[in-house]
Amino acid sequence: MATPTYDLLASTTLTSSASSVTFSSIDQTYGDLILVVDGFAASQSVNFLLAPNGDKINGSSVAAYGSGSSAASYTTSRIDVSFFGVSTTSVGLGVAQIMDYSATDKHTSFLSRVNETEAAGGSSSTSTGMIASRWASTAAITSLEIYSSTAYSYAAGSTFNLYGVAK
Amino acid sequence: MSLMLLGILNSQAAGGGGGAYDLLETTTLTSSASSVTFSGLGSYSDYAHLQIRLIARGNRSATIADTLLQINGDTGSNYAKHALFGTGSSVGSFGTASTSNIQIGITPASTNTANLFGPSVVDILDFNSTSKNKTVRSLFGNAGSTSFIGFYSGLWADTEAVTSLLIYPQANDFIAGSRFSLFGLKGN
Repeated sequence: MATPTYDLLASTTLTSSASSVTFSSIDQTYGDLILVVDGFAASQSVNFLLAPNGDKINGSSVAAYGSGSSAASYTTSRIDVSFFGVSTTSVGLGVAQIMDYSATDKHTSFLSRVNETEAAGGSSSTSTGMIASRWASTAAITSLEIYSSTAYSYAAGSTFNLYGVAK
Repeated sequence: MSLMLLGILNSQAAGGGGGAYDLLETTTLTSSASSVTFSGLGSYSDYAHLQIRLIARGNRSATIADTLLQINGDTGSNYAKHALFGTGSSVGSFGTASTSNIQIGITPASTNTANLFGPSVVDILDFNSTSKNKTVRSLFGNAGSTSFIGFYSGLWADTEAVTSLLIYPQANDFIAGSRFSLFGLKGN
């Protein structure tokens, strides 16, 4: 029997700037999570990184992107949902698939599609691409923090939505 | 200032009825298997599109193994595929025509990072149509000892409605713990 799914678990739109957003006590009955972020900077550049269960250490990512004039690939030692970050005038959109987040027999894998768009267009800060990430832990994810390594804040109006997909 | 959202609740318990995006079937392997098949898809004719969400690992003696798809048991050279990918140090693209399968992922295999399983999200568009060839697209990747991120498309050059999907690794088996879930998306 078909099971309706893609359920909104939590949603927030910032009404004032914030340096991070945390979803906690995440329901453990779904198979996957989908995180949708759409944000920009309050003052100076911010990026979108994930800390499952507060862990900012045990992440890694591989990314591929195009900037409009060239394409490249790189790796990082963190869980990214952005490439270079966004400013007060550009917007970062990331959709992260968080697979088997409640499993305890495997590391958690993330698949993200990312767009960073400059309002003026054609800027060096404009890019589109994809990222695969791994959290090197077999613990179930019970909380998820979205934060910026630049230590600056997300602007009011930035949105963060978390969905659950059945398995 | 940080924002903390406490006490997320499951606001919509799963089960019953039908929505615009529904879980149809799930197979989670309890032992190794050389393939996974979703069959009898004609019974899902009230959906427009299918999506496979899988997370798998193989036991090939290598760091990775391709994850492959055949439709309706067709083993002929009736498929094509195009790829855009990154390895962490380079990006690339290729296309192949007249092949015997569509690549929908790359799974970590025996010598890759322990406990790493590779995800793919695969869309199969207008699978009930009998007037057009079928198009598949997939996003997949993993960040292990051999890292990879890819966005691939595939074509099955046949206008038959899709009634079965065979998912299999390039060599050997998928191991226990690998999960394959099939979803339906409503349309007109």
